[in-house]
Amino acid sequence: MIDGRYFLPHSARFIAARAELMDGKTLRVCGTDGSVLAEAPFRKVKISSRLGNIARRLTFADGAVFETYDNDGVDDMLAEARRFFHEGWVDRLERSWRTVVVSVLLAGAVGAAFFVWGLPAIALQLALHTPADVAKLMSDQTMSAIDSAYLKRSKLSPTEQKKAQVLFGRVASHAPRGENGYRLLIRGGGPLKANAFALPDGRVVMTDELWALVKNDDEIEGVFAHEISHVDRAHGLQRVYEASLIPAVIAVVTGDLSQVSQLSVLLPAILVQSAYSRQNEEEADDDAVEILKRMGAKPARFADLLARLNAKNCGKKDCEPGWISDHPETEVRIEHLRAAEGKK
Amino acid sequence: MPDGESAGGAPASYLFEFRGKGSEYFRIWIVNLALTIITLGVFSAWAKVRTKRYFNGSTFIGDHAFDYHASPLRILVGRTIALALFIAYEVSAAVDPRYALLSLLLIGFAFPWLVNASLRFNARYTSYRNVRFNFTGRYFEAMIAYVIWPIAGFSTLGLLLPAARRARDYFYTNNHTYGGRPFRTEFSAGRVYGLVAIAIGVFILAAAAVFAVVFGTEWLIVNKLLHGHYDPKYSITAVSVATGCFYFLFMSFAPALHTMIVNLCVSNTIFDGRHKLKSRMSPIVVAWITVTNAILTLLTLGFFYPWAKVRLARYEMSKLSLQADGDLDTYVSETLEGQSAVGEEIGSVFSFDFGL
Ligand SMILES: [Zn+2]
Repeated sequence: MIDGRYFLPHSARFIAARAELMDGKTLRVCGTDGSVLAEAPFRKVKISSRLGNIARRLTFADGAVFETYDNDGVDDMLAEARRFFHEGWVDRLERSWRTVVVSVLLAGAVGAAFFVWGLPAIALQLALHTPADVAKLMSDQTMSAIDSAYLKRSKLSPTEQKKAQVLFGRVASHAPRGENGYRLLIRGGGPLKANAFALPDGRVVMTDELWALVKNDDEIEGVFAHEISHVDRAHGLQRVYEASLIPAVIAVVTGDLSQVSQLSVLLPAILVQSAYSRQNEEEADDDAVEILKRMGAKPARFADLLARLNAKNCGKKDCEPGWISDHPETEVRIEHLRAAEGKK
Repeated sequence: MPDGESAGGAPASYLFEFRGKGSEYFRIWIVNLALTIITLGVFSAWAKVRTKRYFNGSTFIGDHAFDYHASPLRILVGRTIALALFIAYEVSAAVDPRYALLSLLLIGFAFPWLVNASLRFNARYTSYRNVRFNFTGRYFEAMIAYVIWPIAGFSTLGLLLPAARRARDYFYTNNHTYGGRPFRTEFSAGRVYGLVAIAIGVFILAAAAVFAVVFGTEWLIVNKLLHGHYDPKYSITAVSVATGCFYFLFMSFAPALHTMIVNLCVSNTIFDGRHKLKSRMSPIVVAWITVTNAILTLLTLGFFYPWAKVRLARYEMSKLSLQADGDLDTYVSETLEGQSAVGEEIGSVFSFDFGL
């Protein structure tokens, strides 16, 4: 005997009632005065699956509904009639703390794996398939933003600028896109100080301050080769795609757009601040070593420049932002580059 | 037969209430998510129905909860169709980009139909007290509300966006029915413009206040207490505190404005010509809940999400009420002419709530 409410067929009108399973086969619903309101073969009654503590619905063929909060009572009826527990297993999993813990671990592991491997892989594919004119448009916008916000006109003499361009051209001619595939822009660094960075369409920016630190041609060639590798491997675009894919992923997983519109304000801001991934840096360094060796230059000189930059920027108490801070674990990279010199 | 509740036709006030619990929903959410992962997405249809049923089943007006009746199998079929269409689109686009353009054009024309199908699917499978809702929007109405008005809004640099919002709310509310009886909302576009003006005004004042308080405090400390001279370089602390506050303000703006417009729309809604709805949400409280929810969800790598949803639903429902003029038990489900099977399944795919 379970208590509930009996709704007349398709109607909002209801009567306080009790349901009972007669000899395991017939469901009978009676009013509190004992009058029979409905009677039907139990297997013909549609029973909603158990979920949390929400009401259970027993629907008759004519559209009448017996509604009850006595979930255990309904489950007992189902067991007595040997009826299949419709989605009952899901409810049991939801109520067991053990499966909840397992689920948390599983979701956490899959989520972490996705963000560590899946997302960068998808972003890389998108980045590599981005049409050249889209990359150019994005680079134009980025460059004009950085130019107006931070960079100044270069104060290098025309001879020195010419020299930098020649060195850059030499490196570019040994890179996949050839000499015309990349372009060097020289600027006063302003707050960016000694710095170099690449734009998706092949533009590489170098600051006067970085040039001033260079003691040997091979050194700056190493920087150029490293930045050119970021271009070829579309690392910049990859980061942009990663930042913009995350809100989309959240929307798909939660099926809820309202949360995303909030998160999407926060996430890009966080991601844009973050550095290139370590993997990206290692790839760019390895490529740089390859190019330098092909040119007959010495990768260890590139390491010397890194060490000098590191000492200049981090010698003072607080490590100031610059090329180094964008490039994690400088010591490890210097070691790595010096080791690469020895190998054939 | 003894009658259940209200015997007479006296006016009565019913409060909305969300009785769901964060811990309960968390377990449902995480287990269904894990099952979706294990089944490579197939279970997502069941997960969707269970989530929807939990939220509807936990939302009460007076002593009765809502319910949700959609069949997971049909949602699965709908999602499969959508996936097949997407793959067909990708393949055809790879073969010839002109096909992609053609498909996009088709999607554009299908969009109003998709909006209607989605809203109808959602309404028809939602019930309250054994009686179903329905949605009666027509193709051209959806076209006007979801395509023409937004284009007009954006092409006038946002000047017509408040009017577009009103058009959308009219389309949404006035096409919903319960037991075949209509919902009607009516309010002037001028009131929406008024709310937008208030929101922008408060936003500017708050931003100015943040600026004045944060940098004023710093100036006071630096100038008067520590050095005795004024250093125009603001400290990192002041700049980051101010940036944090501005972020908070930016994120609050949309939910706060949305809340005010929902209050306006709902409080002017009359069901069946006599029952009045009322919504008294505080825009500031909703903004606070939304922003802190987003931050906590981010900090917990997503695991706070179920509590966030429950927390917002609890507040929203606690501020909704229904002034009933007479019995609610006279309503009967209308007999619905069937929607074509494919239409219904496609409708289930885009069940992101387009609503208020
Ligand atoms: Zn780099």
